[in-house]
Amino acid sequence: MENISTEILRYYDHFVVPFTVGVIVLFTVVIYKYVRWFVKLPRTDKSLVWHGLFTRSTFDACVEVVSESLLHRKIFRVNPILGYMHMSLAFGWFLLIAVGWLEASMQLSGIVPLHAHVFYKFFAEPGANHGVSGEILTNVMDLLLLFVLSGVALAWFKRMRSRAMGMKRATKHTTGDRIALFALWFIFPARLLAESASSGLKGIDSFLTGNIGHWMVSTFGVQNIELFSSVMWWAYSILLAVFFVSMPFSRYMHIFTEIPLIFLRKYRLRSTEKQKSYDHFQVQACSRCGICIDPCQLQADAGIMNVQSVYFLRDRRYHKLTGAVAENCFMCGRCEAKCPVGIELNTLRLNSRAKLFDLPAEGRYSFVKGTDTSSGSGKVGFFAGCMTLLNPKTLRSMEAIFDAAGEEVWWADRNGGVCCGRPLKLAGEIGAAAKMMEYNKSLFEKHGITTLVTSCPICLRVFREEYNLQGIEVIHHTQYIQRLIAQGRLSVEYSGEVFTYHDPCELGRGSGIYDEPRAVITSIGKLSEVSQSRENAFCCGSGLANITISDKGQNKISAALAEKFAETGAKTIVTACPLCKKAIARNTSLKVADISEIVAGRLTVTTNSHLAKSRIEESPLLHVMQ
Amino acid sequence: MDFGFSISRPRAIDLDKNDLSISRNALKKMPEFQACIGCGGCTATCTAGNLTQFNFRKVHTLVRRGDYQNAYDEMNKCMLCGKCRLVCPRGINTRGVAMMIKRLLSEY
Repeated sequence: MENISTEILRYYDHFVVPFTVGVIVLFTVVIYKYVRWFVKLPRTDKSLVWHGLFTRSTFDACVEVVSESLLHRKIFRVNPILGYMHMSLAFGWFLLIAVGWLEASMQLSGIVPLHAHVFYKFFAEPGANHGVSGEILTNVMDLLLLFVLSGVALAWFKRMRSRAMGMKRATKHTTGDRIALFALWFIFPARLLAESASSGLKGIDSFLTGNIGHWMVSTFGVQNIELFSSVMWWAYSILLAVFFVSMPFSRYMHIFTEIPLIFLRKYRLRSTEKQKSYDHFQVQACSRCGICIDPCQLQADAGIMNVQSVYFLRDRRYHKLTGAVAENCFMCGRCEAKCPVGIELNTLRLNSRAKLFDLPAEGRYSFVKGTDTSSGSGKVGFFAGCMTLLNPKTLRSMEAIFDAAGEEVWWADRNGGVCCGRPLKLAGEIGAAAKMMEYNKSLFEKHGITTLVTSCPICLRVFREEYNLQGIEVIHHTQYIQRLIAQGRLSVEYSGEVFTYHDPCELGRGSGIYDEPRAVITSIGKLSEVSQSRENAFCCGSGLANITISDKGQNKISAALAEKFAETGAKTIVTACPLCKKAIARNTSLKVADISEIVAGRLTVTTNSHLAKSRIEESPLLHVMQ
Repeated sequence: MDFGFSISRPRAIDLDKNDLSISRNALKKMPEFQACIGCGGCTATCTAGNLTQFNFRKVHTLVRRGDYQNAYDEMNKCMLCGKCRLVCPRGINTRGVAMMIKRLLSEY
């Protein structure tokens, strides 16, 4: 008994107490949180985990943990210096711990407690690290410390000039975050000074701490450096303790949380429209790096500064989320595409709205029963959607296209119909949205269509993702037109006119449809791409997901967008969403057209179908179009 | 006897008993609400109004006058599709107004 206590006390000094307390608090809180969240996972999620555990997913997750949690590859893509900063801190610190463990295990004898690994230089014997392996290790440790310190220096620099690192705006941090950040900034400089002082006193040679230590001792004398050394070790331990204790309550919770998140994501857990325990992993994996701030047009164009995903997740995590913050977002997905942690930002925002605002839906919308005013028949159904109904040109163009292709069409809502339900869903009224969806679904099934074409990307997404339409293929009209042209059912005249194309959020980032509209445009004329297109396309500012933004705010965003198109030299801005079309048209002198309009205006009458031929000749619509 | 029509009951707003607190609250939250000129564009284009008796202009006028009777149920007919916002000549965030009216009246 006595032996063991002397063994342990062999490597003990009072300054290790703060560090030890910090570590205990950190791991107690983190483990408590994870166990609690895991236990609360719904049964289906748990079974996904158990089923995925011994599959390739686990291996893939391990690979992703190394590439994202340690190396931060995604941040490198945002900006190389920013990536280096994160990597040096995460990977460098990890290696310092790992190699430091090795060094202490090799150089110290007997039972080596945790703190003796961390504060190795303090407990090392005078003249330790002799021999080849010892010298290599101590120099490697110096190199790693330098690596981390370079990251810290960049972090300081970033506070002063974030723009130099590819970020126009950095996150505004909470007090807790600032305390943790402050501790993090000074942990490694303190370590450098403490280790240097000890190395100098003990005659441990190495290129960084060794040399600095020798210089310190020869300049200031042994006594001064002994005092300085004990002060610095205390400072180092206290800074570590402050950081560890604040970690689970601050943004630095992400350091650990990203790891279980990656595993759960690989096991195919996803957030849903109703909040569940998995959301905790996502919310607390946010590092508040602020990469989501710059892409946000509410910030850049409309000057709304407190609603970006980083602030939304922060407010949600600390139970301070207000409806105004949750609702003020277009859910355009620009931030989600950039998030280095891959958090499902839109889904989380959606289920926050549902929690705040879902009103009882019993008895609502009973009036929709038996209001089917649809016309026509055929295996192809066309759902215009509320917004297309406000764009009669698009409707007429689609009519001409269907005629030219000789398609028998069931017009689901040309004479008015029920909304697809997505606007209600985006506002958080899930129960009410379900009523709309139920009605439309039964309508589609009743008419026996096999293909559902819609000209509204908002409708498209809800039909695809939520309706569960068995045996009905849901496609956007850009895809439909592209297919008709590819199949030779539709002939269009190549005019050489220059067009530019705006990717609607819900069609591009939302549904991954980028190539079909471009194929259609290039079959008619030349396509001059706007500076930010495809995944980086801007939002038009009319997104239905934002319920609170004022008309003025909307207009600022669409004006900023419209400006970009002027640089392309195109005469016509083509888009594939009725809302985008209206929004852009408000702010530009260029012609704005739905993709169906430019196609219908250039139809050549050489289609296979005889019937269509006669129809086009008779159709008064084409005169309108041409 | 059912003639297929009836006489409208007399309606009067008693300004002494009228509770305008919700209405005032609404105006404070969304002052643009006052910019309405009552053109009825919102109602003319309304998706729900196309299928049933639902008049957004009427509901919102009644709420402003402090006549909250049935306004909540009436407002619940809204499908929130946003067509009204696109046609509003005054640029009022009509969807925002609709949501606000519902939320303010949900406890009424």
